[in-house]
Amino acid sequence: MKHIGLRKGILFVGLILGGALVPVFVESSYWLHVFTMAYFYGLMAATWSFLDGYAGQFSFANIALLLIAGYTSALLAKHTGLPFLLNLIIGIIASGVIGLFIGYLCLRFKGAYLALFTIAFSEGIRIIINTEHQVTRGPAGLHADAFFDTTSKVPYYYLIFIILVISIFIMYRILRSKWGLFFMAIREDDEVASALGVNIVRYKIIAFVVTSIFCGVAGVFYTHFNQMLTPNFGEIATMGLVIGMAIIGGVENLIAAMLGGILLEFGLESLRELGAWRMVAFGGLLMIVVRFARNGLLAPLYRKLIGEEL
Amino acid sequence: MYGLDYFFMQGANGLVIGCLYALMALGLTLIFSVLKVVNFAHGEFYMIGGYMSYFLVTLVGGVNPFLGVLFGMVVLLVIGSTFDYLFLRPMHRGEVDRPGEYAILLTFGLSFFLQNLVLAVAGPFPHRTPSFMEGGVRIGAISISADRLIAAGLALALMLALLTFIKLSWTGMAMRAVSQDQDAASVAGINPLRMSNIAFAIGAALAGASGALIAPIFGIVPDVGVLPSIRSFIIVVLGGMGSIKGAILGGIIIGLVESMGAAFIPDMSRALAYRQLYGLMIFVIVLLFRPRGLFGEAQ
Repeated sequence: MKHIGLRKGILFVGLILGGALVPVFVESSYWLHVFTMAYFYGLMAATWSFLDGYAGQFSFANIALLLIAGYTSALLAKHTGLPFLLNLIIGIIASGVIGLFIGYLCLRFKGAYLALFTIAFSEGIRIIINTEHQVTRGPAGLHADAFFDTTSKVPYYYLIFIILVISIFIMYRILRSKWGLFFMAIREDDEVASALGVNIVRYKIIAFVVTSIFCGVAGVFYTHFNQMLTPNFGEIATMGLVIGMAIIGGVENLIAAMLGGILLEFGLESLRELGAWRMVAFGGLLMIVVRFARNGLLAPLYRKLIGEEL
Repeated sequence: MYGLDYFFMQGANGLVIGCLYALMALGLTLIFSVLKVVNFAHGEFYMIGGYMSYFLVTLVGGVNPFLGVLFGMVVLLVIGSTFDYLFLRPMHRGEVDRPGEYAILLTFGLSFFLQNLVLAVAGPFPHRTPSFMEGGVRIGAISISADRLIAAGLALALMLALLTFIKLSWTGMAMRAVSQDQDAASVAGINPLRMSNIAFAIGAALAGASGALIAPIFGIVPDVGVLPSIRSFIIVVLGGMGSIKGAILGGIIIGLVESMGAAFIPDMSRALAYRQLYGLMIFVIVLLFRPRGLFGEAQ
């Protein structure tokens, strides 16, 4: 036990120190941008791991929830005089509330039905945003205010880095608590979990709401970082990226899924000249990993190094 | 605001397009009933069908568009059978944990792979296969293009052929046996792995046929399959997962609802966009109040 704690300490402190020092060594604003987006995808992959990998709820709605938070925040900033921070918080609450609603519906939908419902829900949100262009500016995209009054990428780097560390810390603590055990019991068999006294209604909804809040956090960051939000980002393909990253990293391990998101975004960005072919490779890799390495590529490594599941 | 003629017109269009929806949904429901798998790559099978027909007819040149449809179906038989053999077989054998999620991930991974493959090869620009036949038919106030009529007619013919195959042929009966009880079927000397493979291949080919038939009407781009696949999900949930009758009737109902529903929104561009949402509303209502759909078996 002691050794596990020590190894984990070394890994986590190493990752955090390494991350904190990146802007000291990386001066190119292009690569800082790539780092920032990589952390963003790391966070999204972690939200998907939280919901699917632990609670066993296969949802396509994460990106739609992100859009809801982003559009809410950007529209509030445009039409009201509310303080900037309040817009962000309301945006995050909005995606949390929609997550509550989906969580409530999912009590009746299991497995593939939930996936079907959330895929249709996501497309519905995208179609509404696309169509109501008087409000959302449609496919042209909605402009959003920047977080910082500077062109430097360094403040954004630290902002997403701190968001990522705090979000992962909170999700990690939840998953390591008895809630995490309840989630996994539901994932394995919700009827058995229920028979053993797990309040599955409550914990399924909690899993959805927590996931949605972190999707909202990622959403308001994405919106005010890129200063632009388009419904195109809500295409199923984006969700495919997030799911693929979590799966290839290892969906049943929060840290591995997050690292999968970070590393794959780097990989995709470095191979930019390959154009659409890198996505072909990504899709192929996803299929091969699911078929031959169901636990992902990083999760088994984590287990070997640390000696514990999470 | 709209005359009676308009409703007849929309109704006729809805029926015609509903036949094509039904054909695609029939493939999805066939796969579900035999494999117990929801195929998330169904929209991409539809898209590939359209592209294959386009490639054969325009690139080879001088080929009859009907042969293009056939070619699309053959390619999808091969893709479907190969995919099932390589990726789904361990699941049929009961060798994977959480098989439901495994199937979603693999079919969704395939959809991501195929969509980007076509994007890489053919580019993002729309293509259109040449018409089956120029002109159209006019009955009273209703006029429908020949392409639509031919597409709907062929869709009906394919559906009839499939129904006959399932009802009368030995393979069809064996597939039905596997869909009812896999263990009992294998005791009776049926190879469930083989039946699953055939069902997946035929289901894929039906989606491909539907895409190839629609390609001359709407044209194709790499992500053209996304909305049709969601529509097929809605249709099979409405009709009842695994129900063939349900898929056909559901397809026609959704075709009619989309066409007629557009008339209730005055703004034209909104009407076009929001008819997708009618299906979504039906979907939620069915899932909440009658999850087994119109003809599905109770769980």
